[in-house]
Amino acid sequence: MSETFAAVSAETIKLRGIRGAHLSLLLFALVSILIAALDGWSAKGALDSGNPSLRADFTPQQAGLVGVLYGQLALIVFGVLVVTSEYTSGMMRVSLLAVPRRGRLYAAKMTVTAVAAVAVAAPVTVLAYLVTQLALGSHGASLGASGVPRALAGAVVYLTLMCLFAAGTAAIARNAVIPLAVLLPMVLAGTHLLSLIGAAKEMTRYFPDQAGRELLNVDSPHTAFGFTVLLAWTVAALVWGLVRHLRWDT
Amino acid sequence: MIDVQNLTKRYGQTTVVDALTFTVRPGAVTGFLGPNGAGKSTTMRMMLGLTRPDTGSARIDGHAYHELTYPLRHVGALLETSAPHRSLTARDHLLWLARSNRIARGRVREVLEMVELAGVARRRIGTFSLGMGQRLGLAAALLGNPPVLVLDEPVNGLDTEGIRWLRELLRSMAAEGRTVLISSHLMTEMSMVADQLIVISRGRLLADTGLSDFIQRHGRPYVRVRTPEPERLARELQRNGASVTRSPDGGMDVVGMQAAGISRLAAAVGFPLDELSTHAGSLEETFLEVIGEEAIDGAAADGAAAGGGAIGEDGRNTRV
Repeated sequence: MSETFAAVSAETIKLRGIRGAHLSLLLFALVSILIAALDGWSAKGALDSGNPSLRADFTPQQAGLVGVLYGQLALIVFGVLVVTSEYTSGMMRVSLLAVPRRGRLYAAKMTVTAVAAVAVAAPVTVLAYLVTQLALGSHGASLGASGVPRALAGAVVYLTLMCLFAAGTAAIARNAVIPLAVLLPMVLAGTHLLSLIGAAKEMTRYFPDQAGRELLNVDSPHTAFGFTVLLAWTVAALVWGLVRHLRWDT
Repeated sequence: MIDVQNLTKRYGQTTVVDALTFTVRPGAVTGFLGPNGAGKSTTMRMMLGLTRPDTGSARIDGHAYHELTYPLRHVGALLETSAPHRSLTARDHLLWLARSNRIARGRVREVLEMVELAGVARRRIGTFSLGMGQRLGLAAALLGNPPVLVLDEPVNGLDTEGIRWLRELLRSMAAEGRTVLISSHLMTEMSMVADQLIVISRGRLLADTGLSDFIQRHGRPYVRVRTPEPERLARELQRNGASVTRSPDGGMDVVGMQAAGISRLAAAVGFPLDELSTHAGSLEETFLEVIGEEAIDGAAADGAAAGGGAIGEDGRNTRV
């Protein structure tokens, strides 16, 4: 067990030193909070002027969770970079010399990735919510409003699982290009557009991001469903990634 | 002690390492020689658990690499294909390695000073020159103070001073009873540092012997002769069955007659000798000789294999 702790501890130092990793985490925080502020500010303008351009289902509580949905792009980049920085630099061979049990190395890396994602996602999610409410001014809701703490916790779970899903796909592909080319458009627009097509709508419910988004919906009746589907995708990606890692012949 | 037993690795149709068996003993520097593509790096990667052998095993002090607890404390390795992440600093790189194997933090500073990188410890590895990168790789190999060293082309990129430092380090490590295996394509360097040799070609073992034994058995000793009458002495020598190669500086190299015979012959015909010395042949010449023979034998074996597939396959196995 202590060998595993040593491996986790070593991964932490690596993570601190790899520049792309910090930058993407920093970007996650900046984008989330900036979008949260803009979203609250524009909604306030609409509400004040009685502008009907707001969505019918607009609530200040839900608006507070929009920022991190954009920020997640950076968190996906983080998950991908943490894994692929090893394969593309020849670092993986050094890592395997230090920690030759491949399952242990993989578990250590994914643990550190998850911990980093939670550690950043939790405060940023709460902060982004508060920023939106602040920007909404008198229309803002409180942090303790009905269903909000649960949706905020759900958002942290969602973000962490998406980050790990990205890390898993990166371990499958062993390069950054393919996972990013698939995941970023998917999260940004793809499945949302697909869901507009009637026939595809039923299917997109089972996509990781669409299913997982139920976790962020205040008072969603489908939270358990969304969580289960996203968890299944994440576990599948991580297991496949592990199999690829175990079989990797340098 | 490194124990390689019947190690084989194939990539598709190509057999890169072919039933290799040898032992690397402690207390000596063992040189691992072979032409490009002979399978040295693949063999080293298999020793270190990075590449899975098709058959056979490589054990380090009785254990497969992946069975070692905190392996960096047992084996220090340097591979050509491994490279630390460019955005890490030298210090952070060694720090995470130390942490992963529970090696005392103070050791990081020690090895950085040993390889003379203490001054650039906080610089990113991406800014390092080839030689600095090589020094960092050596620092990583020495980090766990390991009883076994496996170094692939360790002198690559080192300057003269660095090469000398490494030579002395390897000799002192061996003198302390450690096991040191190094590969190099620089024969002169190898002949200065190695006690033992393992020579492979096309993935097969050609020699596993002491350096001087290797040169004695396979090399061609020659006698260096210098005289004011080179042409006439050469004629005399050739008449007595020796073969003579004239060199541009006026001397000649004689094969097929020992120094005593040459001296007596010169005295009998009345030529003075300005120089008479026996040479054992260089590692480089001996190596090329051995590799050359193998290439010819190999071509013959492959020709036979083309004639009849099944026999060729058997022939290949018996040759090993």
